[in-house]
Amino acid sequence: MTETGELTFRRVHRASPELLFDCMTQPEHLRHFWGPKGTTTPIGNIVVDLRPGGAFETTMVSDADGAEYVMRATYVEVKRPERLVWVERDVAGGLRTTITFVDLGDGRTEVITHQTNVPAEYRTAEAQAGFATSLDRFDDYIAGLADG
Amino acid sequence: MTIVADELSLVFSALADPTRRSILERLAEGDATVNELTEPSDLTQQAISKHLKVLERARLISRTQAGQSRPCVLEAERLDSAVDWIEQNRQIWADRHDRLEEHLAALRSRSEGSR
Repeated sequence: MTETGELTFRRVHRASPELLFDCMTQPEHLRHFWGPKGTTTPIGNIVVDLRPGGAFETTMVSDADGAEYVMRATYVEVKRPERLVWVERDVAGGLRTTITFVDLGDGRTEVITHQTNVPAEYRTAEAQAGFATSLDRFDDYIAGLADG
Repeated sequence: MTIVADELSLVFSALADPTRRSILERLAEGDATVNELTEPSDLTQQAISKHLKVLERARLISRTQAGQSRPCVLEAERLDSAVDWIEQNRQIWADRHDRLEEHLAALRSRSEGSR
């Protein structure tokens, strides 16, 4: 299986990549814009554990009837201010969202959102994060050897 | 949305293959039998049948019970649901960025005001 469902969305904002990255990853920013019109995103329900394997969760509450829409994702890559990747396992068989922040050099930044279904073998963010953690441990181990 | 997430992944993986997409394009022009679908392609009837099974499992096509030939029928509504899903998601991100733009403007005016 190669590429499946795909979506690319681009938007240019008058802000630095750092500020935009923070907007996408800090609850006090997220609550202002995350939910669509007609919903609120209570800050108390936003979970951001900003590291590979960490949780990213939001609850959007409909103003009209109080219905709640919960998003549960897991970060796969966290690289301020260039790139942010998370996976929602429960959506469309595993939905991967990649946000790239491109500094246009004139005070503006292009934010490119790319969403795609995930091939089954990469489906769990935990699997990837686990691999990254193993590599980190390996690096520590090598560094320890060098110190000794 | 009329189809649930798990089914959506079936639909998307069915759509990922160029042969299957060309089969759907052919069926959009009208119902066709396996023979009629095999003729214009380089593939064997067996290979085409395999692709049809994937499309059938994703319920993008159905097979009628009319006689031996069992023509394939495009389930257009199902295909529309997949396209709808992509469109809905695009709309969510468009709204989100509209609101982000407002939020950034508010941040700017706040920092200008504090100077």
